[in-house]
Amino acid sequence: MQTLSFEFPAGQPPRGRALVGCVGSGDLEVLIEPGLAGKLTIQVQTSVNGSEQRWQHLFARMFDGQMPPALAIDIHDFGATPGVVRLRLEQGFEEIGHD
Amino acid sequence: MVSTFLAHDLLWGMTPQPLPADAPAWVIDSLSLGQPVVVRRAITAPGHIAVGVRGVSREQRYATSMPVAAIQRRVRPEELCHVALRRDVPALQALAQLRPMLDASGWIWGVSGSAGFELASGIEALHARSDLDLILRTPQPLDRIEARDLLAQLDGSTCAVDMQLQTPFGAVALREWAGSARRVLLKDNRQARLVTDPWQPSLEQVA
Repeated sequence: MQTLSFEFPAGQPPRGRALVGCVGSGDLEVLIEPGLAGKLTIQVQTSVNGSEQRWQHLFARMFDGQMPPALAIDIHDFGATPGVVRLRLEQGFEEIGHD
Repeated sequence: MVSTFLAHDLLWGMTPQPLPADAPAWVIDSLSLGQPVVVRRAITAPGHIAVGVRGVSREQRYATSMPVAAIQRRVRPEELCHVALRRDVPALQALAQLRPMLDASGWIWGVSGSAGFELASGIEALHARSDLDLILRTPQPLDRIEARDLLAQLDGSTCAVDMQLQTPFGAVALREWAGSARRVLLKDNRQARLVTDPWQPSLEQVA
């Protein structure tokens, strides 16, 4: 088990919070909460060692060309593929949008 | 040999021969010892089947493909429900506890993951903190209230139980289907997607 931290420039915090995903192999659990203005912080707890670069690339691609809202994202990963990670994050963003 | 293989089936007969040159040494060891491989959800070349090789540690999972012609034996998860194994680990205790309830459920169920691997091969794969992985064949819909009831029963056992529902369109986690999310993750051979009904998936978001 490894814990990784990432930080990206962001806009203003939203109001809502969201919990999406599932504990189980090949999946992940994502908790999204309002962060401090100007900052998007992500903590990843993963069962897959040595995956820091992969996560960095995935987040950089997702937030490329747009200023994301200020969020504190907490991820518990159980060996999800990048495609599944992306789906879960998008699902979480959608849920805070609905609140 | 029936040619329809389903995710979680265990297959014997794969040799290290077709592996690429950069395959890790533990993969070659596992196959040289005659250990089974696990069918994965993925599309592969004609005449081949997508499989995973297991190593001793949790990180040791290797995705590859196996020629169908090499298959010597297949064991499906539902054939493992009543295999007796004397080993004092929580996953097998939980299996013994849950067996009567699952047998009476009216659905076909099976054992996958480390427990399935150990029951099928006799090779020790479970340890004290291993979850119990189960599958449930659900050709007809299991509604979300039934899912909640089933999950409550699984959560009452001595170790964490991870059950995947196998619908005609792919697999969905019972825990998620029993929860409150509007859309749930459905995985099939080609993709993962978020759907509102795993038995009637309309294409929504694709990974």
